[in-house]
Amino acid sequence: MLSPVEVTLIKALEKGKYSVDEAAKKAKMNRDAVLKASYLLQEKGYAEVTVEVTRKYFLTDEGKRYLKEGLPEERLTELLEKGIEDIKELQQRMGKEEFGIALGWLKKKGAVEVKGGKVKLVKKPEFEERNWLKSVEKGEELDDSKLKTLLRRKLVDYEEEKRIFIVIKDVPEAELGELIADLTPEIIRSGEWRNREFLKYDVSVPARDIFVAKLHPYERIIRECRMIFLDMGFTEIKGNYVQSAFWNFDALFQPQDHPAREMQDTFYLDRCVDLKEEEEVSFVKRVKETHENGWITGSTGWGGRWDINKARQLVLRTHTTAITIHYLALNPEPPIKAFCIDRVYRRETIDATHLPEFDQLEGVVLDKNVGFRQLLGMLKEFFAKMGFEDVRFRPGYFPYTEPSVEPEVYVDELGWVELGGAGVFRKEVTEPLGIKGRVLAWGLGIGRLAMLKLGMKDLRRLYLPDLGWLREVPMIKR
Amino acid sequence: MPVVTLYWDELEELVGVDRETILSKLPMIGCDIERVSEEHVDVEFFPNRPDLYSVEGVARALRGFLGIETGYKKYEVKQANWKIIVDGSVRDVRPRICGCVVRGLEITDEVIRSLMEAQEDLHWTIGRNRRKMAIGVHDLSVLEFPLRYTTVDSSFSFVPLDFEEEMTIKEILEKHPKGKAYSYILEGCTRYPIILDSNGGVVSLPPIINANRTRLTEKTTDVFIDVTGFDKNVDKAMNILATMLADRGGTVEGVEVVYGDHVEVTPDLTPSKMSVDRSEVEALLGFELSDGEVISALEKMRYGVIVRDSYFEVLVPPYRADIMHPWDIIEDVAIGYGYDRIKPEYPKTATIGRAHNWNEVRELIKELMLGLGYLEVITFTLTNERYQYDYMRRNRPEAWKYYTPVMHPLTEEHTIVRTDILPKLLEVLSVNTHHPLPQRIFEVGDVVVGMKNRLRLSACSTHARANFAEVRSVIQAVMRELDLNWEVDESDDEAFIEGRRARIIVEGEDVGVFGEVHPEVLENFGIPTPVVGFEIDLSEVFDVGILL
Repeated sequence: MLSPVEVTLIKALEKGKYSVDEAAKKAKMNRDAVLKASYLLQEKGYAEVTVEVTRKYFLTDEGKRYLKEGLPEERLTELLEKGIEDIKELQQRMGKEEFGIALGWLKKKGAVEVKGGKVKLVKKPEFEERNWLKSVEKGEELDDSKLKTLLRRKLVDYEEEKRIFIVIKDVPEAELGELIADLTPEIIRSGEWRNREFLKYDVSVPARDIFVAKLHPYERIIRECRMIFLDMGFTEIKGNYVQSAFWNFDALFQPQDHPAREMQDTFYLDRCVDLKEEEEVSFVKRVKETHENGWITGSTGWGGRWDINKARQLVLRTHTTAITIHYLALNPEPPIKAFCIDRVYRRETIDATHLPEFDQLEGVVLDKNVGFRQLLGMLKEFFAKMGFEDVRFRPGYFPYTEPSVEPEVYVDELGWVELGGAGVFRKEVTEPLGIKGRVLAWGLGIGRLAMLKLGMKDLRRLYLPDLGWLREVPMIKR
Repeated sequence: MPVVTLYWDELEELVGVDRETILSKLPMIGCDIERVSEEHVDVEFFPNRPDLYSVEGVARALRGFLGIETGYKKYEVKQANWKIIVDGSVRDVRPRICGCVVRGLEITDEVIRSLMEAQEDLHWTIGRNRRKMAIGVHDLSVLEFPLRYTTVDSSFSFVPLDFEEEMTIKEILEKHPKGKAYSYILEGCTRYPIILDSNGGVVSLPPIINANRTRLTEKTTDVFIDVTGFDKNVDKAMNILATMLADRGGTVEGVEVVYGDHVEVTPDLTPSKMSVDRSEVEALLGFELSDGEVISALEKMRYGVIVRDSYFEVLVPPYRADIMHPWDIIEDVAIGYGYDRIKPEYPKTATIGRAHNWNEVRELIKELMLGLGYLEVITFTLTNERYQYDYMRRNRPEAWKYYTPVMHPLTEEHTIVRTDILPKLLEVLSVNTHHPLPQRIFEVGDVVVGMKNRLRLSACSTHARANFAEVRSVIQAVMRELDLNWEVDESDDEAFIEGRRARIIVEGEDVGVFGEVHPEVLENFGIPTPVVGFEIDLSEVFDVGILL
């Protein structure tokens, strides 16, 4: 059976199209109830709800003025008929701008000729536009080409009005009372359904769209990466966004005058830390010596003086390596496998592929008997788990790794694409922090993964979500 | 990183192979190919290899890598009578200078182009935008030796490059394009570094500009190069330029630099020596290599190698500015051997994986919120005081103690790190008003309070009938699922409507707030429909683990 509202509505109407107000009047129902009933009828194939956008035209201020005073070309014609033909004088009388408009239109109508600073009327033009303006003002219908002309001249404008219509496609007439529409608890309890037939719905009619509550696709990728790391025996680590330059740069042997450390590229905070904790003091001393002269690492160091005040400055971390290196410094005994997937900051102007903050993934392996070859093995396995079966390696450069490598993965349609960077932490990094063994490290931007996996071209939409996109992007991309 | 433009005709001629071979091998010595055209290839080299910022340097490396000419290349420095006398007054402004004469060059447009490009790239990289090191190249024929490197005051005048009239140093720093660009380096100086020849003619005002009279012309065959600065980077740049011009067929002649207490002859193109342990090579690379393989790899990378009992004695070319540690050489063993020839091996390191509490809590909360029908969103953590507090009708809290401002923000939108997520969600709703209702969204993530991260959950719902009962139901469900004993009390949070806002209290502590968002807040954000929402500080009710 149709629900009471549906019955009321459909009984009041015949096949045909009704506005909501008309339907409400006929069925003596309120608008909300009419709409609700219409949508229910639509689901059952008896009705269709359509939204029509109609334009309501009105005169602009300019249009109103012209309607009153006449169009500029009319006024110019009047002046010409009075024998005033000198351009300068005409400009003076009408104003330069309006004279220009008027002359343009008269030329277009082939009504005038301009010669030697004078305007000559060749034939008397017709001025229909004023009648059109009148029609618009009265709300009369006007054909599209005329409206177009008026719109182009900015004499009229419009507002869009959305109107909902109900089209009754089929009225189940006599059967209304006999067939079961909604299966109600009463019908089940009474067993009444045994004696009655069910109303057949049109199954091809689409119902209202509903949207799934689901993970953000980007978070889904991060979750996938976490699972891979955890599967491979890595410990997850996490750190604060605010870090000292010491952990973000100095501990990683980044020279203090390195361009990446400049205000230009890094978000500094107007505060410093003490670096007073006992542990850190010894780190600081050895890092200082390593920067200045290589300490016992076998390096020449950067030379010059290392300034502790620069190390004390606070920054929004520029990479998750600030966290991994700190973790290794506190856990220097091999074997260690650790990973971090988290937000990092760069002082960059926003565009489709650059954001001031983004998420980075990083993994480290600390062990005694591992080297560059094992790093390549780890990368190959990791990328294979990420779904990139073909990986190749090119030399790379990162200030805190040696050797360094840029992995590339093969992606259908794109070919070989660079995906992150990797290397073995330099001795100048590990030794001052007392890390025992070699550290294999690699990292990549999750945004880049998202671009490859979701086919995204603009990273901005990840962080200022368009709900339309989020609702439509499928949980699984095939 | 500098992008170097290499013209095919020159590169092919200098290397001696065709462009296909070059293109296929170039990436394997360490660079990113940016663009390939008919005339040239644009290559981004890494900042640790300034010796590759010229076609000459690249050709030298490629010839080695391709096996056309391998091993250490010896560069001669001819003795001559060139002299620079250094005045003690430069010590405080720009203490170090190297000089070099290169004769018998055919200064073609290509040579000038390559020299200028290398100069600019060196200025930018090892020169740190001329601060640490700056280069001047001059026509030798107009200079009268010995030169003097000294200081003068700002009223001293000469005709700077590209100008026709004399300008004082003060005017140059204020008006000359190069003066304006680099005056910051000499800021606060009362005396300015200057190179003069024995007639008192100006050679250069380092690190700003040369004199116009020393500029190179088509007739130039002999050049004088000065490099000034503070430390060894001066010598590194000098060596790169000298070897580059030597590769162009020039004869390098030494210049005696006379300091108050000692004399040096520059450039010094003798190789430095570094010992590399045999065991260290294998340990770092993780596989065995024969001596022959190590030698062949290093020679391809243009090193000289002498085998000693437990180590290799390696001659490092004078143009290599990046070799600080034996590992730098071992990397070149790997590159010379070929990254593509190394067989990856999965490390045997056995460990057990462990997730961090922070993210375990996030996963749990996500399951909960998805179950309640809320869509997950993520937003930036950078925001501003207006959105976070003013729009929310909340008082701005104390900077540092509570919120974290960033220095030199790029836009007014991003001046602080968020302390609350709810305003970010309202921002999301405000840009999505054209999408169908209801809209229910949540984010579980980091905020920064007192410069430490905290884990927060915030969610909101908007549709024509969103009301307090709806959000209270959700809070009840959340607290029930999290098995928390909780109470509520009236809140005074102005972001919500009075009498329709509540504090969530767990064990006597405020852990969150919920309610109907105040219409003025909705107006501020431009949201036309009622919104209910909440925010809970999960750090208060969960063990979220240790943060570094």
